[in-house]
Amino acid sequence: MNRAMGFVAGVALMLGASNVQAADISAGEAMYAQACAQCHGRTGRGMASFPSVSGQDAEYIEARLIQYREGEQVGPNSALMIPVAADLSDENITDLSAFIAKTFQ
Amino acid sequence: MSSKIVNWPLGAVMASVLSVGLPAAAFASEHTPNLSYETVLSGLSDPWDMAFMPDGTMFFTQKCDGLSVLLPDGEVNNLLGMTGSDGYASTADDLFCEGQAGMMGVALDPEFDDNRFLYVYSTSSMAAPGTNRLMRFTVSDDLTAVSDRTDLIEDVPYKPEASDQPFGGPGAHNGGRVRFGPDGYLYLTTGDIHGAEVPQSPTLLGGKVIRIDRDGNAAEGNNAPEGFDPRIYTYGHRNVQGIAFHPETGQPITAEHGPWHSDEITALVPGGNGGWDPRPNMAGRGDCPDGYCGYEPVQMEAMDPAERAEYMPMTDFETYPDAMPPAWDNNGLSQGMSSAAFLTGDQWGAWNGRMVVGLMGIGFGGTPVGQRIDIIDMAEDGLSVHDVTEMPLPMGSGRFRSLVQGPDGNLYAAIDEGDIYRIIPE
Ligand code: HEC
Repeated sequence: MNRAMGFVAGVALMLGASNVQAADISAGEAMYAQACAQCHGRTGRGMASFPSVSGQDAEYIEARLIQYREGEQVGPNSALMIPVAADLSDENITDLSAFIAKTFQ
Repeated sequence: MSSKIVNWPLGAVMASVLSVGLPAAAFASEHTPNLSYETVLSGLSDPWDMAFMPDGTMFFTQKCDGLSVLLPDGEVNNLLGMTGSDGYASTADDLFCEGQAGMMGVALDPEFDDNRFLYVYSTSSMAAPGTNRLMRFTVSDDLTAVSDRTDLIEDVPYKPEASDQPFGGPGAHNGGRVRFGPDGYLYLTTGDIHGAEVPQSPTLLGGKVIRIDRDGNAAEGNNAPEGFDPRIYTYGHRNVQGIAFHPETGQPITAEHGPWHSDEITALVPGGNGGWDPRPNMAGRGDCPDGYCGYEPVQMEAMDPAERAEYMPMTDFETYPDAMPPAWDNNGLSQGMSSAAFLTGDQWGAWNGRMVVGLMGIGFGGTPVGQRIDIIDMAEDGLSVHDVTEMPLPMGSGRFRSLVQGPDGNLYAAIDEGDIYRIIPE
């Protein structure tokens, strides 16, 4: 599964690089606190059934969020992430990915 | 630890006498306390439960790491590790974590001073395809090691494979709280493992509250129906992660995690049925995804919780008219109700004698996240609540996994994020 993830992330890297530069990190921070921290933790370390989002680059996060937004099954608990991602705009995804990648190392 | 042993019928009489005169007279002058907090430990990984010695020594579990003890001087001794953890005095290689499963509840024997017995509940690979086990250990006098492992219960079911459910990965719904009651018996709460047959099964130990003595024998008076495993105290539960004992009546009260609706607080009666039965092709339901109806009729999308409750009730009174009624159902919402404890002592002012429950909250399908501690004024008969108030938290909120009142009278709270706090009333 990791190998497939790497491939997807690579594609997104090529397509998405310019978006990342335009990211509004503080908007991402506010949104993370409000819509993501309850599952992934305040510091992104993950907990309980919720995976860590730390230690990833923005392209990886972005690619994942796009997959979930499209309703793709990734891991066994995608059903919990898909409805969250369904509401995200491209801009939200850019901001969140930049914030997560920068802050949660 | 020092809970009074109250004989139940007497306790019940006292409670009903008290209820006549109390509210106006005794509580009128009492205030709700102001709360402050201290961080006891931080940077933990999924802390799951705590158990205290009278001097404040705190044993604690981490789901994927194992059992440790925090000494009064602040030093931590790591006692019992599991697969993949390092730095523990000993390691039990059969213990492992997966999804919600791993090392969970911990309790000390009421006679710990004499027998040094500690009880811990963990997932184990010793018997295929994995089970949850309740183990007893002896703690060394210097608190540096545990030994003499005795597996009191070996076969609480574990979910070995993913299924088509929310939180559908392996390891779902193990329950996991371990507590001694004022009756001197050991209670273990378990979960349905996304197994439709499990909660109402007379022999499978999932979806139950189990009551045994310190050697693992069924308690006297469990009163489970004919043909049931005599260790079963109550059955028909979904995923019970909280159990606490009413300080006056001694009655066990559970806090249970609902599906996409209805977390429940329920006062237990011996042999009682919680009324959870997620089997397909019954109670008006047809087939369900992977044979489990627990999140139906719509498992992955938002839906009015009341409509869900109608279709797949937490307590199905139609099928089981004698089911134990919940005292409170979190206003029909599921927000991950987990641990429960009673606050006792004058330092809690108007909250003396109230129950606290921790909610972990994820905010699925339009339900407010609701990570919080609720303070519940239970009716003496356990059948309803007089009042539910949200605790004004002195620290930030989090996924409240475990609540325990310490021997100092303060409330200890563990959150999945990795902190254990001491909440101090003034
Ligand atoms: C309801 C709980 C919940 C919320 C809220 C939530 N997530 Fe998730 N998230 C999950 C779960 C569960 C998974 C794993 C899904 C799977 O098994 O495929 C996940 C996976 C992810 C992943 C992929 C991690 C990896 O390495 O594969 C990313 C990135 C992510 N979430 C980001 C976010 C962001 C950003 C937000 C806020 C907009 C958010 N999540 C809100 C539950 C949640």
